[in-house]
Amino acid sequence: MKAGLGIFAVALLALPYVGLPAFYESFSYLLLSAIVLATSWNILSGYSGYFSFGHGAFFGVGVYTTAGLAGKLDWPFLWTLPLAALAAAVLGVALGAVVFRVRALRGELFALLTLAITFVLATIALNTVDGGPGIQFMVDTPKLTPTASGFLYLLMLAAAALTLWIAYAIYHSRFGTGLLAIHDDEDVAEVMGVPTYRFKLAAFAISCALAGLAGGIHAVFVSYVTVAETFSIALAVNVVLMAALGGTRHWLGPAVGAVAITVLLYAFTSGQAAVLGRALTGLILIVVIVAMPEGILGQLLKRFRKKEPVRKPPVESARPAMKAKTGTILEVRGASKAFKGVQALAGVDLDVRGGEILGLVGPNGSGKSTLINVVSGHYTADSGSIRFEGAELIGVAAHRIARAGIARTYQIPRPFPQLTVLQNIALPPMFGQVAMDRAAAEREAWRWLEFTGLEAKAHRFPPDLNLHERKFLELARALASRPKLLFLDEVLSGLTPVEMDGALRLIRAIREQGATIVFVEHVMRAVMELTDRIVVLTYGKAIAAGQPAEVMRHPDVVSAYLGTAHV
Amino acid sequence: MKITRRQALAAGSAVLSSFILPARAQGKPIRIGSTLPLTGPLASLAIIHKVTAEICVDNLNKRGGLLGRPVEWVLRDDQSKPELTRTIYEQLITADKVDLIQSPYATASILAAMGVAQRYNKMLLHTSFGIPRLAKYDMQFQTAGSPFDPEVVWPNHIFDAAAKLPKPPKTIAIVTSKFPSVHAISVGAREVLKKRGLQEVLHLEYEFGNRDFGPIAARVKDANPDFLWGGTNGIDPVLMLEAMKKIDYRPPAQVHLFPAPGPMLKVPEAQGSLALTTFESHPPFTDDPAIAQFVKTYAERAKEAGIPYTAVDLQSAIMYAAWQVLEAAVNATKSLDDKTLAAWLRKSEVKCLFGTLKWNGPQNYVEGADLYKVKQLQQGRWLVVHPDPWAAPGAKIV
Amino acid sequence: MGGPGSEDRLTVPSATLLGQSVLSGVFIGALYGLLGLGLSLSWGMLRQVNLTHFALAFLGGYLTFQLAAVAKVDPFVSLAVTVPLFFGLGVALHGFFTRFKVTLLNTLLVTFGLTSIIEAGIQWYWTADFQRMESAYAQVRWKIGPLYLSLPDVITLGLALALCFGTWAVLRFTDLGKAIRAMTEDAPIAAAFGVDEKRLGYLVSGVAGAFAAVAGVCLALDHTLAPVQIYAWMGVVFAAVMMGGLGRPLGPLVAGIVIGVSEALTMAVTAPTWAPLVSFSLLIAILLFRPSRF
Repeated sequence: MKAGLGIFAVALLALPYVGLPAFYESFSYLLLSAIVLATSWNILSGYSGYFSFGHGAFFGVGVYTTAGLAGKLDWPFLWTLPLAALAAAVLGVALGAVVFRVRALRGELFALLTLAITFVLATIALNTVDGGPGIQFMVDTPKLTPTASGFLYLLMLAAAALTLWIAYAIYHSRFGTGLLAIHDDEDVAEVMGVPTYRFKLAAFAISCALAGLAGGIHAVFVSYVTVAETFSIALAVNVVLMAALGGTRHWLGPAVGAVAITVLLYAFTSGQAAVLGRALTGLILIVVIVAMPEGILGQLLKRFRKKEPVRKPPVESARPAMKAKTGTILEVRGASKAFKGVQALAGVDLDVRGGEILGLVGPNGSGKSTLINVVSGHYTADSGSIRFEGAELIGVAAHRIARAGIARTYQIPRPFPQLTVLQNIALPPMFGQVAMDRAAAEREAWRWLEFTGLEAKAHRFPPDLNLHERKFLELARALASRPKLLFLDEVLSGLTPVEMDGALRLIRAIREQGATIVFVEHVMRAVMELTDRIVVLTYGKAIAAGQPAEVMRHPDVVSAYLGTAHV
Repeated sequence: MKITRRQALAAGSAVLSSFILPARAQGKPIRIGSTLPLTGPLASLAIIHKVTAEICVDNLNKRGGLLGRPVEWVLRDDQSKPELTRTIYEQLITADKVDLIQSPYATASILAAMGVAQRYNKMLLHTSFGIPRLAKYDMQFQTAGSPFDPEVVWPNHIFDAAAKLPKPPKTIAIVTSKFPSVHAISVGAREVLKKRGLQEVLHLEYEFGNRDFGPIAARVKDANPDFLWGGTNGIDPVLMLEAMKKIDYRPPAQVHLFPAPGPMLKVPEAQGSLALTTFESHPPFTDDPAIAQFVKTYAERAKEAGIPYTAVDLQSAIMYAAWQVLEAAVNATKSLDDKTLAAWLRKSEVKCLFGTLKWNGPQNYVEGADLYKVKQLQQGRWLVVHPDPWAAPGAKIV
Repeated sequence: MGGPGSEDRLTVPSATLLGQSVLSGVFIGALYGLLGLGLSLSWGMLRQVNLTHFALAFLGGYLTFQLAAVAKVDPFVSLAVTVPLFFGLGVALHGFFTRFKVTLLNTLLVTFGLTSIIEAGIQWYWTADFQRMESAYAQVRWKIGPLYLSLPDVITLGLALALCFGTWAVLRFTDLGKAIRAMTEDAPIAAAFGVDEKRLGYLVSGVAGAFAAVAGVCLALDHTLAPVQIYAWMGVVFAAVMMGGLGRPLGPLVAGIVIGVSEALTMAVTAPTWAPLVSFSLLIAILLFRPSRF
């Protein structure tokens, strides 16, 4: 395999020197530039799901940076390439820094924004650096190769190698896993410790920089640039087509699609069949996408993966249990949160002591889930104070709270649907308190798979699981980060009595490992059996706290539960 | 234009052959390669060039070809993309090894092809290059009759013609798109009108591809010029005229540089519009029987191809001239060698269907002189009205 | 070369000029809205990004043109042909998507392929050259005070208003509309309450196709047809659709008019070449500062 790759690399490098007609260099250049554009688009849009319609704009910034500097100011053109990449990246970061802060700007609104940016930049370029007539420039390419096309080919080869390497490295790193999680469920990813804002920004910057680099080289390739041909929506659409055709969930997918579409378009350049060729291109596209809905590479890998047996690495012996801190570890004072006038939390006071299982009970709508959302950073409390191990949590980003050692489950399980069960569980250890690398995190994940009995499903995807398995996946994912404080939000609802017994055993085992647990539940049998202490919430206030049996006899609690008028 | 089974098969094999090194052209035919934007934004003009070139090659072969050998035209579709134009010319020259190359269409694609031609020392004739100063290769030759300085020469043609109007204009409104070539000419027009003592009352630039000409029309109406300078091409003139019609306005006189000829005929308000051209299908151009025959054949073939406007004009003529120049050079030098051909062209002149082409000035252009004329839309026909020697019989600018 | 293009300085326009420009922006915006309506419905309700919508609108325009040129059929009479035909095409498209369970992203690809096919078909039959329909409608215009209105513009605006408000009213006030909204909100639950999701899907897709036919008539009436124009409208109409909120029938119209009027006003007071900058910057600003509106 390695030797094969080596030979392939040498063959690619040698292409300009073997005396083939220059056409092959030039055509290979087109292939490579398509690979760079599609792959770079995928780093943001494929991995994280932020669909950009503005790749043409960042490409265009690269084109015009090089054209302006080399063509109008006579800079040596190789020097302009880093600047082309930088200019595009700076623009991407500036845009991202504003856009990614707005939680509502996801999905098609992000696509719209990037589309609009293309028009704005085109207008600016047309009226400033270009002025109307386009920019022509002839640069002397270094005489390293027999033909000029050969040099540009090598340059784009380097850019493509760099792009693919970056895409590969990201895909296999924590960063890549984080991006894929953002794609599936950004809010959950943040709560699991993924610094979503920084990751999106970084992915956008890399994506833009590579597009800008390709643009800089391309300016020399065409040697005459005009706004209409540079900032085109067609380019953005083509890039999306390539990536989707190849498969967006894999680092190599867009490259496969780029090659397929470029070859296809070139195949129909014969003068007699141009119009027919256009129709055929369309038809082939439809047939391929219907036959391979996950893209060419996506589909091939799926077939390949099915045959792969579940391989379990040797699981290390369980780690020694941590010693839970004693004393109050979480201190909530006067926490309030209102939604459009509805007071979900109305000044909650609550203490959680190290090592205990605290039951949090109350009628529906009493604020239990909101409390979890506020502590885990999903929502910011309007007022009050929440201190964890002495540090204030209000206003702190959710991923930092996760890193501090707080984990949670969701009442309705929210696994990342396009990550395998194993990848789902390996995610929190990568972003939790310890921040393991991917391999270590997967070893850790296998322990929790074993713990929850999900080993056989390790390579399946969450939608294949039944409810009980999904609840356990949710639990395993929360445990894998080895939290100090764990919020369990109705993990028992919907389980059969037998499954419930299993779950209770599991929760006790968790405590043995040294975690403090806040247990939100409606099943009173389990609450009474499991908890050391309970707190009762109604109307967003804690009305009682203490020993389970005692608290349940408290008159306010009785009235709250029986629905008597509550003052 | 029906696609038969045979054509489909031919298309299929052509697709295959574009990836296989074709056999070396040992056979008799002289192979001449070029691209045209048969699909994509420029396709409406490419089809005119394609039909014209096919007639030229047919005629050439009927006359016995070049140097006694038949001529084969290798045409490929550059899909209106300059980067593809570059790659295909490289394919034509280095892989297909054609004997000669011929012009693609539009400034950006010609520049892309010119770069390739320069690297492989091929002579490039070109039909539609908008910005002569950018042509910096000594074996490129235009066949459109353009001057080296169209931004000076063309505005003068137009203002010369306008001066012959019954009421010569004094105030001018310049409205131009940012399409590179027409923009450059419009920028030049501002200088020219100053020198001629005319007054510019409005100057607007808009982005090519603009859809809403309402506000522009309203501003022209507000400015109330004697003469509207439309730095426009393609369909823009029609859109602008329609927008002005909607607000019940019609400039006293106007020029639109390069309108798509067909649609203009259908707009009543376009009557009297001036435009630039090289050739129109009327005497004296058609006095030559060969040219008259071409005009007739073109009308037939264009109709067959479904082109709505079937008269030969600027677009068709510049392509016809490209083949005339190629034929003249090969026949005069008895050679297919690019350098020999180029050397001959630089010191010679070739009579084409719209005048005598010369390349003895800067960058193989001629400064200050050209073969362009001004035409006017009169009673549903485009007639050359200026300069006088080329004017249609009895036609006067109105 | 650059040349001094700077004399398009800010000018104080007359009230007539402003009024006429606003009108012009409203009319072009209405066409954006009309083109966007079908797109918005199938995107918002069926999760299909249907690029074919543009190709269909132009095909409708060409058919209208052809019927008028060959058989002298009135453009609005030709709707009797194009509307049922395109309704059928819409239904067929939805059938295809359902049969192959095509995902949102893949609908983009499939419809792009289909657009290429339709474009090639148009180019093959009508050539790439410009085609223009001649009709008596284009000659009619009125003067109201100092302002002018032309019949094709008024027709476009009227149709856009009628279809957008009609769709809005159907969705809001009828049982059918409630069922469709329920389906959009949560298909499985709607199905549990007896909403026939499949049939509604076909209906929405068919109606979107029929809207393309109507938009086609407006294109033929007031614009010049060329195959490549299919792509020229995509960017701005997409912007109007997304800005207007997917699946909201009034959204594309309102957003289209905002874009149209802001561009027209820019063209009226300063260099027209800056118009896209103003309208799209405005759009970005709205997105950033009031994203919750969407």
